[in-house]
Amino acid sequence: MIKLFAVIERDIKKFRRNPVVVMMSLLMPIVYLIILGNSFQGKLKDLPFAVVDNDSGVYSGRLIDNLRAVEAGAKTFSLIFLTDQKAAVDGVRDGIYKAALIIPPDYTKRVKLKKQAEAGLFLDNTDTVSAANIRALVKSATGSIREEYVPIREKPGDSYIREIDLYSMVDYYQTLVPGVVIMSIFLGTMTAGVFNLVMDRFLGIDESYLLSPLSKTEIVSGLVISGLIITTIIAVFVFIASMLITGIPLTSGIEQGFSIFIIIVLTTLALLSLMFVILGRAGHPRIVGIFSGFLNVIFFFPSGAIYPIESFPGWLRAFAKINPEAYAVHALKSVLFKGAGLGVILSDLIFLIIFTNVMMVIAILTFKRNM
Amino acid sequence: MQKPNAIEVSGLTKKFGDLTAVDNVSFNVSSDEFFGFLGPNGAGKTTLIRMLTTLLKPTSGRAVVSCCDVSEEPKKVRERIGVVPQAMTSDLDLTGFENMDLYGRFYSIPNRERKEKIKYLLDLVGLTARQNDLVATFSGGMRRRLEIARVLVHSPSILFLDEPTIGLDPQSRRVVWDFLEKFRKEDSMAIFLSTHYMEEAEALCDRVAIIDNGKIIALDSPNVLKSQLPGNDIISLTISDDSRLEEIQNAINSISFVHKVKPDGQTLRVYVDNGALNLTALLERVKEAGGVVTSVSIHELSLEDVFIHYTGKSIREEEAKKVNFFIGAGIPQKLGR
Repeated sequence: MIKLFAVIERDIKKFRRNPVVVMMSLLMPIVYLIILGNSFQGKLKDLPFAVVDNDSGVYSGRLIDNLRAVEAGAKTFSLIFLTDQKAAVDGVRDGIYKAALIIPPDYTKRVKLKKQAEAGLFLDNTDTVSAANIRALVKSATGSIREEYVPIREKPGDSYIREIDLYSMVDYYQTLVPGVVIMSIFLGTMTAGVFNLVMDRFLGIDESYLLSPLSKTEIVSGLVISGLIITTIIAVFVFIASMLITGIPLTSGIEQGFSIFIIIVLTTLALLSLMFVILGRAGHPRIVGIFSGFLNVIFFFPSGAIYPIESFPGWLRAFAKINPEAYAVHALKSVLFKGAGLGVILSDLIFLIIFTNVMMVIAILTFKRNM
Repeated sequence: MQKPNAIEVSGLTKKFGDLTAVDNVSFNVSSDEFFGFLGPNGAGKTTLIRMLTTLLKPTSGRAVVSCCDVSEEPKKVRERIGVVPQAMTSDLDLTGFENMDLYGRFYSIPNRERKEKIKYLLDLVGLTARQNDLVATFSGGMRRRLEIARVLVHSPSILFLDEPTIGLDPQSRRVVWDFLEKFRKEDSMAIFLSTHYMEEAEALCDRVAIIDNGKIIALDSPNVLKSQLPGNDIISLTISDDSRLEEIQNAINSISFVHKVKPDGQTLRVYVDNGALNLTALLERVKEAGGVVTSVSIHELSLEDVFIHYTGKSIREEEAKKVNFFIGAGIPQKLGR
């Protein structure tokens, strides 16, 4: 035991003496939360939208009024009125406008005659999100130009759905918290555990403990346990900070906090042992660097932290079934947003335990005790 | 009763693919002997030490270290030996004391005993005042002293030192030699030293094995090895006109105090008795043979000359070749030859 504690204490001391690594490990997941929270699902605003009205009739006017209503309300785009339709289309090509609407001279006439009235919509379809939004809004604006009034009374006989939320409201920022906690665990496992072994190997320091009577199990377990302590502290800090930033309350108090702690510990062990299997024989920190980015993508995105697993194609769903991060995200979401107890997330925890044990056995068996 | 040998090696071989790094090596080291392995980098010294210290598995042959077979009982071997590898292995992020304490804990030495031993060893290597400083702040010499002290924490019966003074300045090298002499006197242990510095092997070792291309080419005490060479001094003469070299060589070969003449480019290495006394006569004979000497040097026979005698090349030349080869590669010698 004295040997095992020596390995653990050494790693923790080394980590503590690298303040830059400590700060980066704590701050990076938080920054990630802020960046990700503001990068996706934000509302589009003030897209430059050129309009050329060659008609100036009643219905072209009504169409423009509808677009002005969007401009004044949702502010998705800001209208720029032009008279030269070539300048409008060229503007879209040159990236000045996101779209250009060209209303032909006979637009009102054709609407009145109940003939097909066409207005040209030129879109910068390289920006799919903006193009789709403008397309939908213009369609809606053209679709309602014949409506003479806004219906204010419900029609008898119509059927309505009343939505009942089972759980308290969760905003987009809050849904990211489980992912951010998992991300912090992932980053922790890349800066502790097997990383220390690779770094020691690179610096030649590993020879000193390979020459000592330490067994394979003591070396691997010592590094995993020290990684567990370091990463758990980081993940708990990140979790608390994320809760404060996003305002998620711990409704069930200590039991909920304990469940989250257990999830963090088991996820950390699963990832640390997995990293040992993948990187246990790496001889250069650069290999860890390359793998770090790659592994982060292949484990994090199919975990359901950002988008539901149900939206994945079959092969990716199959991968999610063996992805420990998917189980960790599911467990964290259940506890955080549904107030689930340990019983509900038991299957997730059992998977993480089995996964850790299998990986630890492989890590110890494949660890090279000599040079 | 006679003590068993500290190291017994028979027919030990290590191959890396087609490359034979250590080739059928056999020797014994007694329990209180200071044994040296002398050879240029790439000769197979580190590979041999790594096999003896359980870091590499032999391809064939047998090695028994401290009464345990290195292949069958590696853990027991590791418990009984102390190894200072060629590369510095102390942890830069830990203090001198922490490095030693950590190592002591790897050997499960009880707390009190460990602390006392560390205090004694740090004092012995003159690092007590710096024990609480991070190793990152140590000089190369200090770090090496710490590493030698560190492997003595568990009182090993055999100490392996792989090029312990490589990269150190002459003063630091001398300090390390003094420590090794001191340890040897105070603790009865076998010391196995690999080096490419002949003066180091000559100053410290009871016996020296000279290794080249993975094979032992000579093994005995430094004095016996040197006595096997003709004469006791070497006079090196550089001749301005190398077309007359053969004629001059024949002329001086017939002198009674000259044992052997070996050409080396424009230089003649003349093995003589009492070089200082006979130098004038030698130069006279060269002049008579029509030679013009541009430089002269005399030195006593050394292990370097023993190496040249057996291999026809100098350790220093071999070193220079290896250094040139690895400049720019930026990678350690992975094969450890």
